[in-house]
Amino acid sequence: MSKNNTKPVHTMDPFQEWCHKWGRVGTVIALVYMIAIPFVVLTYYDCVPSLGQVINLSTISILLIYIPVGFSEALSYTPILGCSAYLTFITGNIMNLKLPCAANAMKLAEKEPNTPEGEAISSVAVASCSIMTILILALAALFSTWIMPVFELPQVKTASEYLIPALFGSLTLGLFASTNSGTKVVKNGIMGVLPVLIIVSILALAVRLLGGGSLFGAVGFLILFMLPVAIISSRIMWKKGIIKVVDKETGKE
Amino acid sequence: MATMKDIISSPLLLALVAGGLLYIAGFSLVYLKKAYTRCIELGISKEDLKKVIKSSLVFSIVPSLSIVVGLFALIAVMGVVWSWWRLSVIGSLSYETMISSSVASAIGYANSAEMLEMASGRDFGVVMILMSVGMLSGFLVLIPFGRKLSKSVDKSDTGNTWKHVLSGTFMLCLFAVYIPVLIFGDTVQMLVMLTGLVIAVGLGVLAKKPGLRWLNEFIMAFSMIGGMVSSLLWVKLFS
Repeated sequence: MSKNNTKPVHTMDPFQEWCHKWGRVGTVIALVYMIAIPFVVLTYYDCVPSLGQVINLSTISILLIYIPVGFSEALSYTPILGCSAYLTFITGNIMNLKLPCAANAMKLAEKEPNTPEGEAISSVAVASCSIMTILILALAALFSTWIMPVFELPQVKTASEYLIPALFGSLTLGLFASTNSGTKVVKNGIMGVLPVLIIVSILALAVRLLGGGSLFGAVGFLILFMLPVAIISSRIMWKKGIIKVVDKETGKE
Repeated sequence: MATMKDIISSPLLLALVAGGLLYIAGFSLVYLKKAYTRCIELGISKEDLKKVIKSSLVFSIVPSLSIVVGLFALIAVMGVVWSWWRLSVIGSLSYETMISSSVASAIGYANSAEMLEMASGRDFGVVMILMSVGMLSGFLVLIPFGRKLSKSVDKSDTGNTWKHVLSGTFMLCLFAVYIPVLIFGDTVQMLVMLTGLVIAVGLGVLAKKPGLRWLNEFIMAFSMIGGMVSSLLWVKLFS
């Protein structure tokens, strides 16, 4: 089967270009500021800890939670978010807020991810969502004494624990639409992640049956290991013609 | 020597956090303006953009309120200002709350109450530095490789059909990991997910009716709220 892999010269959209330049600069400034905060405050109070106090056998457990999750999020979310990734990462709460928000916006505007239109729309959504969240959290912090009792109600706490499962329920509807790419349609795209689905199902079942509960807390690690599996298996299936990219109108490759 | 209490209630920390949040809000506004202008140039109507912004704002409320629940859990361990900062930037609700439960033992205290009462400023400094530096790993990928990662799936390169496949693979992989974990890991999680899905499908059908087209903008927000509220019933029945 012949795959059309000729490389036409194409330039990046001006907005994407702006994000990859100034979005990156803005992100670096924010990062420097974030790292500086503890050092400025601790220096002022003359209590900067030594390197040995920061990195030792007890504290390494904290870094072991953060570091793989950071890698996993950057590798798996950046290709989905495109140039809106810079703002998304700097404002955090990606899987439980920004990514679904961007997906919702693209679905609503009928634009595809990884196109200039899709990335501009998802940037509008992520920026609006970030401003809203900053505002809500600022109000919550400001009025924490008064509103804390409401947010500590057992019902509110329980419902909050199930945000991610509820999000996945509502996101699943748009899952198949996400493989439509403008004038092209990806057929059998889901076959490429079938090995991932099988491996994770077996792992999740095994952990549950052996009394280990849920793998929910280890999803970041799982994605890190499963992403290469998904890409390699999709590539093989695309090469073998099992996954096809066809014209939306004619249905031909 | 300053104590943890001095640090978490420090006016200097508050001023720095407020400054940082103003910068992030400004950064978001610049991004919004640039993206909005580009959308107009690309032929997306103001009407559609208004719809997207409205839907994004409404959609953000419930997850943000969930983050507020996490904020209050974190406040009990680390005070208002530092918790507010962590959940407004970079931080993720699930990992920050996970860390809040292990941080006291990591620096040698039996629990968070003991840490709050007895920890020195230097002890809390360890926590602040670890939390600030830990999440940088993602940026070690994003900053040098963000452009490359985005271009690897750029569909503007219409001659390359593999990019169309690869572009969808990342999202499909997320689902292929999350869905079995949610279905096989916990009965309540599975039922909440299914409830969300059923509500989304139901609203999708309703939104096809001429008078109910406006529902389209809120399918995700409503199905998410419905799923979360249903957890109260499922927890009662199965936990």
